[in-house]
Amino acid sequence: MLLMFDDKQKTHLSFLLKVDIGVVQEFCRLSFEFLRKGSNPKVYQGAAQKLGVELESVQNGVEGLMYLFTESSKFMISEIDFQDSIMTLGFSEELRHSLLQMYMKNRNEVREILSEMSMDLPHYHNLEWRLDVELASRTLRHQTTPTVLLKLHTKENSKMSTQVLQTDPINLLHLTKVLEQALQEMKSPYCRRIVRNIK
Amino acid sequence: MELGQCTLEGLALAGDAAHIPDKIFQPFITRACDGVLDVRSRDAIAKDSSFQSVDLAVLKEAYAAVVTLLLEAAKNDVDSNSISSVLEDCKFTSDRIDIFSKLYKDRKPYLQILLGRIGDSCPHIVDVDWRMDYYIKNNHLEKVNQAVYLITLKTEVPGQKDFKEVQFSCTQEQLQDLVGKLRDATKSMEKASQL
Repeated sequence: MLLMFDDKQKTHLSFLLKVDIGVVQEFCRLSFEFLRKGSNPKVYQGAAQKLGVELESVQNGVEGLMYLFTESSKFMISEIDFQDSIMTLGFSEELRHSLLQMYMKNRNEVREILSEMSMDLPHYHNLEWRLDVELASRTLRHQTTPTVLLKLHTKENSKMSTQVLQTDPINLLHLTKVLEQALQEMKSPYCRRIVRNIK
Repeated sequence: MELGQCTLEGLALAGDAAHIPDKIFQPFITRACDGVLDVRSRDAIAKDSSFQSVDLAVLKEAYAAVVTLLLEAAKNDVDSNSISSVLEDCKFTSDRIDIFSKLYKDRKPYLQILLGRIGDSCPHIVDVDWRMDYYIKNNHLEKVNQAVYLITLKTEVPGQKDFKEVQFSCTQEQLQDLVGKLRDATKSMEKASQL
């Protein structure tokens, strides 16, 4: 698929036609940095002064690049589609090549940043276990009750939480068996067919 | 196993045919044992007309003593022989000792299960449900394309009627990790049981 730019975005990006390729590369670096850490308007001011242009043009240029990189990463656009998409912007071949390289190099990182923003469910992080044998309690002496204590660490966004659970040998075997089957199911012809068809 | 003076006195009353006639001895101790094991028959003896001939104060004291003996003996995993010697000291006839020992022997496992359940523990896993989804995209990201499992652990919490559910999701790799750790635990448990 190709990326579509509206007129406003095209105007913003056209500013990059007027500056050196070195400047564009610097803008790319800034846009990736802003994607990682959030934007910093002070940087725009410094750059605008240095280039002797209006602050707004610099900001629009960098934000235009940020849009280009996030959208193409979001859709996981292929190398060829990326080149075709920016063809309409009138960049030189050298610049297109340089943008493509930047995109390919940073795509995974941008996707990671985007996935951090995505909705998250409490998910498995780690499991610690301990085997105990209960020997006596206030109400019952002389017992040997095997217990498996499980400490389940789950993570939601960046928030970790821990739960302590326990189970007995029979249930542990059952739990392990059922989850093994769940894992095995992914290898079934049905699931593989679905996975193959969603690409 | 040590029993208090009151209990010994109560047992002596229970063993005395002048207070608890032979005919009702068996129903009497059975009622006492059922009262411990089953909440529904807790006070059944009060409504039972076959015990009308017995003085209420005596009945109460003897009942309390029998219940105490049963629970203390089960708690300490005492065998029938030791029970017999306690009862002998309380002047039980050998017939009554046999009846009591047999009842105790039969019900001891149930008494111990009941006693073992008392106390606090972590939520106890008794079952697990899973569901597999294929995660395709979200509002920030397209082509995520990965399997996601939703796991629900069903746990029993002491003192609560309903199951408490523990839910979390995991990717295929995370499930692989989880299963690997559970397998480890299973293996060590099997090894430990062979010691």
